[in-house]
Amino acid sequence: MKALFATAFAIGLLIAAPARTMAHEIPNAIVVQSFLKPDGQTLTFLVRVPLSAIRDVDVPQRGPGYLDLSRADDALRTGAIVWIAREVALYEEGRRLADPRLVAARASLPSDRSFQSYETARAHFADPRLPDDIDLYWEQGLLDIWLEYGIQSDQSRLAINPGLRPLAQRVTIGLQLLFPDGRERAFQLHDDPGLVQLDPRWHQAAADFVRSGFNHILDGIDHLLFLLCLVIPIRRMRTLIAVITSFTVAHSVTLIASAYDLAPGALWFPPLVETLIATSIVYMALENIVGARVVRRWVITFAFGLVHGFGFSFALRDTLQFAGSHLLTALLSFNVGVELGQLLVLVIVVPALNLMFRYVVAERMGTIILSALVAHTAWHWMTDRGAQLLQFPWPAFDLLFVLSLVRWAMVMLALAAAVWVGRLLVRSLRQGAKPRAEAEV
Amino acid sequence: MARRGMLIGAIFVGVFGALAVANMTLQQVAEAQGAAGTVRAPRFEVDPFWPKPLPNHWVLGSTIGVWVDERDHVWIIHRSSATLSNMEKGAELKPPTGECCAGAPPVLEFDPNGNLVQSWGGPGQGYEWPQSNHGIFLDHKGNVWIGGNGAGDSHILKFTRNGKFLAQYGKAGVHKGPANAEGLSTYGGDSNDPQNFGRVAKIFVDPRENEAYIADGYLNKRVAVLDGDTGKMKRYWGAYGNKPDDRNPGPYDPNAPPAQQFRNPVHCADLSVDNLVYVCDRVNDRIQVFTREGKFVKEAFFAKNSLGEGSVWDVAFSRDPQQTYLFLADGRNHKVRILRRDTLEELATFGDGGRQPGLFYAVHSIAIDSKGNLYTTETYEGKRVQKFVYRGIGNVPRHRGALWPTS
Repeated sequence: MKALFATAFAIGLLIAAPARTMAHEIPNAIVVQSFLKPDGQTLTFLVRVPLSAIRDVDVPQRGPGYLDLSRADDALRTGAIVWIAREVALYEEGRRLADPRLVAARASLPSDRSFQSYETARAHFADPRLPDDIDLYWEQGLLDIWLEYGIQSDQSRLAINPGLRPLAQRVTIGLQLLFPDGRERAFQLHDDPGLVQLDPRWHQAAADFVRSGFNHILDGIDHLLFLLCLVIPIRRMRTLIAVITSFTVAHSVTLIASAYDLAPGALWFPPLVETLIATSIVYMALENIVGARVVRRWVITFAFGLVHGFGFSFALRDTLQFAGSHLLTALLSFNVGVELGQLLVLVIVVPALNLMFRYVVAERMGTIILSALVAHTAWHWMTDRGAQLLQFPWPAFDLLFVLSLVRWAMVMLALAAAVWVGRLLVRSLRQGAKPRAEAEV
Repeated sequence: MARRGMLIGAIFVGVFGALAVANMTLQQVAEAQGAAGTVRAPRFEVDPFWPKPLPNHWVLGSTIGVWVDERDHVWIIHRSSATLSNMEKGAELKPPTGECCAGAPPVLEFDPNGNLVQSWGGPGQGYEWPQSNHGIFLDHKGNVWIGGNGAGDSHILKFTRNGKFLAQYGKAGVHKGPANAEGLSTYGGDSNDPQNFGRVAKIFVDPRENEAYIADGYLNKRVAVLDGDTGKMKRYWGAYGNKPDDRNPGPYDPNAPPAQQFRNPVHCADLSVDNLVYVCDRVNDRIQVFTREGKFVKEAFFAKNSLGEGSVWDVAFSRDPQQTYLFLADGRNHKVRILRRDTLEELATFGDGGRQPGLFYAVHSIAIDSKGNLYTTETYEGKRVQKFVYRGIGNVPRHRGALWPTS
């Protein structure tokens, strides 16, 4: 009797069970597509997320795991609220918005292209739902969500903290902000970016990019070693300022040029720049070892600064989206951050070198030892990066290649002429200043 | 001092002037040459670092299928250990003869950056894995379709993206004939069989009608169209829309009148946005174009004197809304041909035989991502997948051999 009851109970449970729980592994990587559009006092947020990322929600299935669309609506709405609406934090002028209203949630095919624009995405919610009998394996479906938030004004500055990190091991969020005046701004966020100002004020952008530049120079061991090589033989403030200024001006030129898409876009260009950066360190270290004259170091530093600027631009490429409408401010701020980082390094390194050369090792010997260590490291970087560069086939030596060479030669010549004119000016200023200095003595 | 400065300044101006004159002259020559020697067509640059190295000492065997899904993930299928020499698979021999290498699982998924995302494939419960897998396609529901051109492969498999078996259409080993002199089974084609296939080369699923177009194949001589959910055959046709005929047409003769039937293999059957089916009649060196219902529209021949495997292996459509261009993988001549899709006129080619990046050995399959980047796979001893980064439309030489970058 007991067995009969247990069997009946089990059968009853099976019949009553509305769905299989979607308990499964966290996906390795997902892409979330989204649009934000403020309009009057409503902020519309459209989100598309792979169903495979929606976990622990009972979604009806049939057959080998096909989505049972005839019974899926409640589960889709629950997934939308639990995993998206409650996780995404939106801010208006620094104030977190109240929970949104879920307008709609629907399943789509992985091939659906509606989320290519805001208009088609929004219109997609009015499209007929997928037929109930479609064989769509549930993990391969997409969940489209329409949320609405109440806002004070569509002119307010917005910020977002996506909070979607739990959805997958790696989360990429494509976000498009549509301003009421028709402007659009695209973002690509990764994992947990924290609070992102979607329309930053100039000082917010400046502060972010100063921080970014500061961190970058301190994280970039190759830039630091280059800096070290520069200062080992030059520890007098006046010469140091000339050299550092030369480096700063040069890398600012190429960094800004890159941000405005003036740098070559070919695949071999980044490895070329990385190889040249390593070469610049080797050169500086060798120059220190052989005891070359350092009074003209600002000239070669300028040339290498141009190369390092391209290197900075690679680091900056993915973050320029956070500049809002303040691109130039952001670039200059990044340079300021780099300079502050360099100053910090100098403040620490110059006295340390002075102390070392005074108490530990003679200056000449110390210069040779330190430079040799740096040259050794940079040599390995140079050969490793050079090997990667050599993986790219050499350009065909044809007419177009020669034309390109001629144009680059013109650019280099113009730069050399500018440097030469600069030197003449500095020299004439110095000559003009000398008699006065002598008169003061 | 001032004189020295004047001299240096004059040298700067003089050299700059000479370079400017050289620039103008070369520009004029280039423009003149451009009118004669180049053509407006899509430009590409090979990415030698795509994909990233495989883990576990894995290597690819003959790589005979590629597709790009809606997320721009690149899927390939290859023949793994079955096509690796002992020197290549020392780690998987029993006992192992070295630390490297082993055949990777047959199905590999790469993300857009070339990282391996997952791998699966091989025999399993509930289905018959092909003796020699061939062709891979990701449909609009995210399902993976696989064909096979092994001796007894007369079926198609469908899996989820994660490799869970969903369906098998047709059975393996049908149309078996008598054993040959070596005692091996022989098989006959039956291009009018509504249930089974004859060594399927490639599958293409039309998302609008949920119909699968089957290049059928290495044994049969037809294009077959199935319902995408049930696998039920809806229609099929042969060359020129004729009823398929499995009789042996003999070897291809470039000087003979065009064959009225496909030769084996029928190697691709891809549907364009304007509902035209482009069929690779590989050995006959031709593309034949049909309506969705199988009505013949036109044909074009490429490198018509190519013998052996033939010149028309696989096609991919460009990603502009009109699919203006058609990219044709020509494994016999080791190049990719760029065609105007409306006229089937050949505009340009790139590639040549060789092992360096941008060269080919038996380029077998071709696919395109949403950004217009091309992916190719190579069979036989080619055994690799390559990425060609799209560089926009521009002037390109009509016959560009090795695909070196230009800027």
